Amino acid sequence: MDRVSFEVLEGEFVAIVGPSGCGKSTVLNMIAGLVTPLAGAVLVDDTPVKGAAPPRVGYVFQKDTVFPWRTVARNIALGLEYRGVAGTERVRRVREAVTLAGLDGFEDAFPATLSGGMRQRVALMRTLVVDPEILLMDEPFGALDTHTKLTLHAELLALWEARRQTVIFVTHDLSEAISLADRIVVMTRRPGRVKMVHEVKLTRPRDVIALRESDEYAREYGRIWHVLGEEFAASGPRP
Amino acid sequence: MRITLWRVAIFVALLGAWEWLTGIKAISRTPGLYWIDPFFISRPSVIARRFAYLMSGEVRLSLWQMALSTVESTLWGFAVGVSTGFAAGLVLGRHDRLARVFEPYIVAFNSLPRIALVPLVTMIFGFGLLAKVVLAWTIVFFIVFFNTFQGVRAVDADLVHSARFLGAGERQILWTVIVPSALAWTFAALTPSISFALIGVVVGELLGGESGGGLGYLITQSLGTLNAADMMVALVSLGFIGIVMALGIKQIERRLLRWRPEYRTERA
Repeated sequence: MDRVSFEVLEGEFVAIVGPSGCGKSTVLNMIAGLVTPLAGAVLVDDTPVKGAAPPRVGYVFQKDTVFPWRTVARNIALGLEYRGVAGTERVRRVREAVTLAGLDGFEDAFPATLSGGMRQRVALMRTLVVDPEILLMDEPFGALDTHTKLTLHAELLALWEARRQTVIFVTHDLSEAISLADRIVVMTRRPGRVKMVHEVKLTRPRDVIALRESDEYAREYGRIWHVLGEEFAASGPRP
Repeated sequence: MRITLWRVAIFVALLGAWEWLTGIKAISRTPGLYWIDPFFISRPSVIARRFAYLMSGEVRLSLWQMALSTVESTLWGFAVGVSTGFAAGLVLGRHDRLARVFEPYIVAFNSLPRIALVPLVTMIFGFGLLAKVVLAWTIVFFIVFFNTFQGVRAVDADLVHSARFLGAGERQILWTVIVPSALAWTFAALTPSISFALIGVVVGELLGGESGGGLGYLITQSLGTLNAADMMVALVSLGFIGIVMALGIKQIERRLLRWRPEYRTERA
């Protein structure tokens, strides 16, 4: 990566898109404090991020990180357990989260019995239940089929509209970025740079399914696709 | 159903052949010349009679008492072996330097045929329960240790990361991520462990004499009196005990690992 710089406002939903290998996930990991930049810094509320995870940051991984030996409810309870939220308060918040995620009736199910979409819902709620101010998402829906993906987009937006966390969402799926984000950071192929920052002018609340057929959506898509296309073309044949 | 039928048929056929071939003379009226000499392998009918006799109160040390002694020592050896093996696996799995330091000792001790330790263990711990437990421990410990060690090493780094992002401290990561993932490997070693604990105990009993009791003692005693029937009683009892304990542990293992998909499909 080379001179990557962009700003994210509080309560904003920003997506980072770019060809694979361009360093999108690395940017996210720097924000998370998992990776230290060779030069420069990541500032959260004007405080540089170093070493450990900055407080109040939630991270949803692309990989399935639901604990297989814990039931749905006990997975969601993890963050509260770690923070010492005990007893009835914990039970109440977990129950709320289970309902929000549409997982009623699956509280005592083990992850192995759930579909990929349900597992990712558990991972999302597990992160949201502790109410992070900043939510980092690294291609969280990358492994899901299109239908499940759209459902989860709608659910994520509904949850976000309610709490308005700051979200930084990494994806290689442009339509996903347009459906969800306020702004899209387009990165170049290696060495990754910020090619452009595009403001998505779609009104909220959005209907992620109807949106796909609208002219505004097509216009946004066309504009970024053109820019992104240059990058894909330049990086040679893609699988 | 058909399979069960076949199994029963084979069992009956074998038992019948045994009883029959050890009952007919090779040359009529010549004493001692059987097709198969019952002196060596006895006969099912005789074994059944000896079994009933040894179970009765007429003997000083009943079969019950001996079986109980064997089971008790096995369970102790199993429990001590599993807990110490797990603890050692967890500690060495977490501390790379320590693991490297101890590696040659562990490998060396584990390559030692455990049966060669029997006389030494007997010298130190005598002939009783303790010696048997120690022998079982020397085997079980290593099985569980290696499995747990692997389990700690195989902990998914992404799970550790995600726990950290959910606010976990180092201790919390140990108890909610590392221990449960390692336990999955430990539990998978439980069924072989109980079988090996039984081996350790019986080996101890073979040398243990009457004070050690147990079914191994019945075997050596039968050898002393050249009594094949009693030996068969001991072997059948041991086989039965082995199967029951292994099945019991398998059930516990399944219960503990019920979150694993492979244990779900097995039950269905």
